[in-house]
Amino acid sequence: MLFCGIDLGSRNVKVAIMEHNKIIKTAAFDTINFYRNHAVKRNQQLYIDFSSLDIPNCDRVVSTGYGKLTVKLAGADAIAEIKAHYLGAVHQCGLDDFTLLDLGGQDSKIIKIAGGKMVDFVTNDKCAASSGRYLENMAGVLGINLEQLSKYYENPVELSSTCAVFGESELIGKIVEGYSMEELAAGVNYTIFKRIQPLLHKIGYNPLVFVGGVAKNTALTEILKKELGASVIIPLLPQYNGAIGCCVYAFNIQQSH
Amino acid sequence: MRKIGITTTVPSEIIFAAGAVPLDLNNIFITDPSPNHYVEIAELAGYPRNLCGWIKGIYGVAVENKIHEIVAATQGDCSNTHALMETLHLKGVQIIPFAFPYDRDRDMLMLQLNKFMNYMGVGWLEVDAWREKLQRIRRLVWELDRLTWESNQVTGFENHLWQVSCSDFNGDPEAFYHELKGFLKEVKMRKPLKEQVRLGFMGVPPIFTDLYQYIEKIGARVVFNEIQRQFTMPFEVRELVDQYLLYTYPYHAFARLEDLQIEIKKRQLDGIIHYTQSFCFRQIEDLIYREKINVPILTLEGDRPGLLDARSRMRIDAFVEMLR
Repeated sequence: MLFCGIDLGSRNVKVAIMEHNKIIKTAAFDTINFYRNHAVKRNQQLYIDFSSLDIPNCDRVVSTGYGKLTVKLAGADAIAEIKAHYLGAVHQCGLDDFTLLDLGGQDSKIIKIAGGKMVDFVTNDKCAASSGRYLENMAGVLGINLEQLSKYYENPVELSSTCAVFGESELIGKIVEGYSMEELAAGVNYTIFKRIQPLLHKIGYNPLVFVGGVAKNTALTEILKKELGASVIIPLLPQYNGAIGCCVYAFNIQQSH
Repeated sequence: MRKIGITTTVPSEIIFAAGAVPLDLNNIFITDPSPNHYVEIAELAGYPRNLCGWIKGIYGVAVENKIHEIVAATQGDCSNTHALMETLHLKGVQIIPFAFPYDRDRDMLMLQLNKFMNYMGVGWLEVDAWREKLQRIRRLVWELDRLTWESNQVTGFENHLWQVSCSDFNGDPEAFYHELKGFLKEVKMRKPLKEQVRLGFMGVPPIFTDLYQYIEKIGARVVFNEIQRQFTMPFEVRELVDQYLLYTYPYHAFARLEDLQIEIKKRQLDGIIHYTQSFCFRQIEDLIYREKINVPILTLEGDRPGLLDARSRMRIDAFVEMLR
């Protein structure tokens, strides 16, 4: 049996394929290209051309993500993002008690899991200042790519702006003051930590499982370890955690029948 | 008839006793077909973008509807009320200050009641007679509340609407009483509602217009509206001053907490939605409730009037899912 999980994110659409209880394939597509080239909307439903995406036919498809609320995927069940991430993380790391930190394109979510069950969560609200989009913007201002940006965490420049857009002009101001690229990049990574720190304190954070596109930022992982003194676990496929959670949901339904 | 605008629940007995009618400006604002235009009136006048939508709405309502007299809760409610009153004073509105003492001091509250009565030109005899009249209506609303959580025949929105309307009884207590009686008769014929998740709503009334309906659509129901219930003064006491001393809303978080703890247990709530306005000082109090309340809490924030936004819906979905 093949199960397909689709996470309709704001920046990327992530797909995971599960056979029995194992993930056998993953793929990511640019969100805009995905909707433009591989999907059509008919009768208020979104039909995906799986063959053009090189994705095998699956017995059950489950979707989640920002798009879930606006587009109904034809032939798929839809589940809440927080649920998808919780299921994905439990599957990926095999723990029963932990805090899940998901930093995506626009969203930040912190979910507390105790005894294998989700017991509390907080999310960012109407602001993308601690998201992947913010990192993309700031890397653009510094003229480097995301991979370079994610290397630096020492001697961070102090950035005080709490807005993803005004943050840019503040960063430009710091460039003018003559700080090095390393210090500026470290400052950018630290602002992400400062935004999520109060949320982590609200929920608790040891051990911390870190997923989402921003989990690729190794500097942030270092900052989390250093500042929180917590153990930080990054599962094998952090970016696909939501899509994997969808597969787990499909698998569980199949098992219960 | 003389109409007295109010910005929150104040002793309406005194207003009615003076032959005047209280007019809850919040209710006019939020039930308008396009409430956002009241917010825009305030922003055009210079009110900041990052300020509570309720305050801006009240300003717009008072200006557009030419309300001449307004009671201002100068203590025990939003501190933005001070500047709201000052800017309305600038527009020629007569301001009647009323302060709920922070320490719930009986003598101080008595002094406030006496000053308010003096202003309105009424004595205790008329005020007490009106208290009796209003209590008769409030008892019916308490019954409606019981029908919400105990016999499960009333929806969360109906519970919200009737209770929140007790601030001014829609300006016509007699009509309110008869309409309510008819409603209760109809409700008692209903089959009990059977939702999977029982929620409590705490905090100021939501600025979202579809919150209760959305919650019911996904298999949950609000069976406790904290502040709205307080607006119905759910206590049998002998004196007006005691009634407004027991009323928790204008005092500190701990008075509210005590009331909440009792009701969470009594109504068997699975979780609580703590609603606050964007930019409101009450957001700070969330940390007290999170520490002291031992059922799961979802903190929800609203800014301008309208339907729930996608993010809030996502959070409600996940919360209900978690409690199921």
